[in-house]
Parts: sequence; structure tokens; C-alpha cells
Amino acid sequence: MKNQTLMENQEENKVELTDRRTEIVEAYVHYVLEHGREPVSVFKFVKGLGMKEEEFYEYLTSFASIKAAVWEKIIDDTIQVMESQDVYHEYSAREKMLSFYFTLVEELKKHRSYLLSMYEDHLSFKRNVPMELKGFKDRFKAFSADVILEGKENEEIADRSFISDRYEDALWLETLFILQFWLKDSSPGFEKTDVAIEKSVSLAFDLMGKSALDSFLDLAKFIYQSK
Amino acid sequence: MSNKSDNLKEQEHIPTSKVQRATKFFKTGAKVGGNYVKHYAKKMVNPNLTKEDLHTSNAEDIYSSLSELKGSALKVAQMMSMDKNILPRAYQDKFMMAQYSAPPLSYPLVVRTFQKSLNTTPEALFDSFTKSAVNAASMGQVHQAEKNGKKYAVKIQYPGVAESVSSDLKMVRPFAYRLLNMNEKELDHYMEEVEERLLEETDYVLEVERSEEISQACSEIPDLDFPTYYPEWSSDRIITMDWIEGKHIKEWLLTDPSQEERNRIGQALWDFYNHQIHNLKKVHADPHPGNFIIQKNGKLGIIDFGCVKVIPEDFYHGYFSLIKSDLLIKEEELDKIFFDLGFISDKDTVDEQKYFKGAFRSMISLLGRPFHSETFDFADESYFMEIFEMGDKIGNDKMFKKSRQARGSRHGLYINRTYFGIYNLLHQLGANIITTKPEWLKI
Repeated sequence: MKNQTLMENQEENKVELTDRRTEIVEAYVHYVLEHGREPVSVFKFVKGLGMKEEEFYEYLTSFASIKAAVWEKIIDDTIQVMESQDVYHEYSAREKMLSFYFTLVEELKKHRSYLLSMYEDHLSFKRNVPMELKGFKDRFKAFSADVILEGKENEEIADRSFISDRYEDALWLETLFILQFWLKDSSPGFEKTDVAIEKSVSLAFDLMGKSALDSFLDLAKFIYQSK
Repeated sequence: MSNKSDNLKEQEHIPTSKVQRATKFFKTGAKVGGNYVKHYAKKMVNPNLTKEDLHTSNAEDIYSSLSELKGSALKVAQMMSMDKNILPRAYQDKFMMAQYSAPPLSYPLVVRTFQKSLNTTPEALFDSFTKSAVNAASMGQVHQAEKNGKKYAVKIQYPGVAESVSSDLKMVRPFAYRLLNMNEKELDHYMEEVEERLLEETDYVLEVERSEEISQACSEIPDLDFPTYYPEWSSDRIITMDWIEGKHIKEWLLTDPSQEERNRIGQALWDFYNHQIHNLKKVHADPHPGNFIIQKNGKLGIIDFGCVKVIPEDFYHGYFSLIKSDLLIKEEELDKIFFDLGFISDKDTVDEQKYFKGAFRSMISLLGRPFHSETFDFADESYFMEIFEMGDKIGNDKMFKKSRQARGSRHGLYINRTYFGIYNLLHQLGANIITTKPEWLKI
């Protein structure tokens, strides 16, 4: 009995902790939306919140960690929304990837103004990946690793020595491409992003799938070895 | 709408960017050019080689290229495939295939379209929903859904189609120019009209409106059946209607229906168009075989009111006056109509005027022949050969090729296409029908 109360207390503490953290993140996003830029310093920012600076550090370490939290929330929500659709579990690997991106752009849309004021001038996501995307990237890689594994199992994706270890990286590059494309998209309802997603996922899976190239390499290897 | 083509490979993308489409077309263009070269090279060795052979290899290349495109490009292919008298047979057969098959889009995108435009998912709205398309429409694809034991057809538009109409048409130009044997000015004159219709066709809200309006207005005609439309389950990208079970005309003919049955279906078709053109002055201008389904109960189901041509009053009168038997029209009256409809103009010399008047007169009296009698037998092969030959003759006519201007009103484009379409379908049916016409057109 005593044990149980203790556990409940801990649970409550945890909830309170995450609540407070979310509050700070939301306040930060709000600040960016209102001012079109980051706050000058943590000191100034928490002052506006009526909070002490040291309290801020209990939850987060810097503005960078707040920005990271925004991205992490986006991908967590994406995966949660996506997996809540019954049909998702019947999807092939290719369809899961498509579903992920379509859900992602839907989640991104909720934060578009914030993302635009932060990243509109960011020239290339690929050449210069923003630091705060790290948590997002880790989560994406975990997700894509599952999809790739599944694709290999049902032979949608060819298992090639050396190359297949890099599939995740390729999909990550694709994600960056889609993020960038979406930021610049001005078509009604972001239709062009939808088309970009269909095309790029299709290309990625066509490349990862078994193709004429595999047969060619196989033959080449055979000829080389039988010389 | 009832037959599912299993052999369709799911295509996950449409080549939408202009550059990609351009390369697609360029490749075909180059290939067609190559075929001509090959043809003439072969012909030097073997003079027996016919033009038909050349058309066959051209049609194959063009078809394989077009079938990878969607939206307006496919639409143009469909249009071309309908005008039997304009297109050589080989093109026509190949293009006929485009009317039934185009590769479908991925299911997650279908779900996304539902979420974006209806704020729900197909699974939430219906009890069941097919994951892959059961049929491809030119601007979208059709899925079958079921709710409370009732079947529905759900048409979903490809994203980006509306935006690509104009650039697609520019790309199709060199082909149309070559295939239809038109000069450039003529083509521009009509392209505007085509663009207008195609843009309307991407407007699904308008389509539902018109479908309801026309099917309501034609509900009295015997032997016809229209699906009910469901505006609450439709949006700018989705149309939901009743699923019409049955056979396409070609399949139906394979069941060997009696002459009586074929006449009955033919009559329903003729009456349907007669009512639209002469009374409603608004016509379902897309009489391609895929839009007609013969149901088990023997009724003709009509779907797809995407392409509707509104007929302007003055055009209507001029055009159909010409169809009246020649004897009944005075020379001055005829001249005025020819001017009004743009067949001849002030820029023509007297000789040119005389020549074109003669040419159009014989063309119109040929096309108007079914109107000149009480009944007409569309099974008559020789009548269609006559039309076909005339199309060929005009296509190769020096005077027409030299002509620096477009001839014929742009409104005529879709009306002609509609009539060619109906004649064609009636011919396929081999139907002998009463050619109902309005009082003032009677002889």
C-alpha cells in the first residue's frame, strides 16, 4: 500500500515536470511567432515568463534544446497519428514511408509560421543540417530502420552488401529534401509537396528494390570470378 | 467501371514537373521522327509498305509514352482516339486502350486526399474501400466503396492536375499538329477551347452540380439510368456516386444481344443527346465508350459529366440550319451562316470562298445524313468509310493546308466531337434507330 502511493507520487511528479517543460517550449514558440525571431537571451525570455533562470535550467539547457524539443514533438506526433490509423498496419514498406511523409507534412503545417520564421533563410538543409534536428533524426532513423527491415523481409527492398547499410542515410537525405521543399512550397494545399513525396519515395524504393542493376552486377561478378 | 484490370502496375508517381513531361514528349517526338525515317528507308527497298504500317509503329510509341502521363495529356489521347474519321485506324486502336488503362496512384495519397478535402479517412466514411483503384479516369482514379450494403464509386483527382493543364497542352501541340494534320493557326484557335473545357473538368464541384442537373433533366427518357451523386461526400478533389454495375458496350456486344436490344440501347443514346443538344443546350461532350454502362436490367447507365459543353444560341442556329436538307436553304442564307460560323472570311479570295463553301457543304451534308431521314442504320459500314475518306481527303487537301486561317467556330469542336462519338458508338452497336429531331429541323 505504501509502495503504491509512492509510485503514484512519482508519476505525478513526472507529469508535472513534462507539463512545465511543454509550457516553456510553447512560450518560446509563441515568442518567435510574435516577434519573428528568437529571444535575445534566456534571462530575458524567462523574465517574461515570470520564472527564475535557474528554474529554466531544470527543464532545458538552452534555446537549442527548445528548438530540438519542437522537432521531437513534431515527429512523435507524426508517428503517433500515423500508427493510430488501422490501415497503416496493412501497408507495405513503401506505403508506410509515404504515409509517414504525408502525416509529417500535416504535422508540420501546424507549426508552419514558426518554422518559416526560423528556417526560411536557411539555405540548404542537406549541406548544413541544423543542430537541433538531432533528436528528430534519431527518431526518424529508428522508424526508417524498422521500415527497411520490413521491406527486406518481404523483398520490397534488396539486401545488398555494403550499400544496404546506407539506406537509412539515403532516406534521411530524402527527408531533408522534403522538409526544404515544403518550406518553399507555395502551391494551394501544398499539393506540390504531395507530388514531391510520391515521386521521391517512389524513386527511393525503386532504387532500393531489386533491379536490372543487380542482375548486371551478379553477371559481372560471375564473369570476373570465372576468369 | 465494372472490370478491374489486374495487370496495371501501380505507378507511384506522375511525371508532373514540366521538364519531366517535356522529356517524355521529346523522346516520343524523336521516336516518331525516327519511325518516319525508318519507314521511308524501308519503302525504298520495299515499295509495297503501306502507310498503315507506319501508323502502327508511330501509334505504339506515342501510346507507350502517353500512357505514362496523366491528366490532360491522357485526355487529349482519348479525344484523338475517338475521332475515327480524323485518325488513321492504327492510331485509333492504340489510343482506345488509353481509355481504359492508366496506372493508379498510391493508397496513402488517396487517404491524404480524403483527409485534406473531407476531413476524414476512407475507412471512417465507408464500411469498406478498395486499396487500389478499380478504374482509372483521365483526371483521377476510381475506387469502389461500400456502406450499409450499398456500393459507391469514388473518384479521386490526381494532385497537381489542374495546375498542369496549360503546360500539358503546350507540350501536346507538336503531336496534335502532326497527328491531326492541322496548321498551327488552326490549332491555336481550338486549343483555347480545349483548355477551357479541361480546366472545367478539373473542377469537381462543378461536375457534381452539372451531373445532378443534367441527369435530373433527362430522367424522363426511357431506358436511361443515372447514378445518384452525394455532394456531402464530395469535394473539390473527390466525387462520390452510386456504383453502376454492368458491361461496357464492347463487352456487352460479346454477349451477342439481339438486333432489337441493340436498337433499343442505340435509341436511348440518341434520345439522350437529342434532348441535351436541342432542349437543354448543354451537352455531355465526352461520349467515349468508358462512360456508358449497360446494366443487367437492360438500362443504359451514363456516368462522368466532367466535360459539358454549353451551346451558345447563335452558334446553335447556324450549325443546325446547315444540317437541314440543302434544298431548303437559300444561297444568301447559306453564305451568311458560313461567315458567322467562321468557315469563310473576308480575307478569302472569291475562288477560295467558292472552294471552301463547296468543301464544307459536302462535308456537312455527309455528316448530316442521319438527320435527313426518319430512321438511320448506323451499322452501314459504307457510310463510315465515306466519312473516313472525307477526313483523309481534307487532311491532305492542298487548299486546306495552304489556308492561313482557322476555319470553323471553336464551339464546333466539341459539338463535332460529340457527334463523332455518338455516331461511332451507334456504329459499334450496329443500331438502326429513329433519328428524333426538333420540329424545325424536320424536312
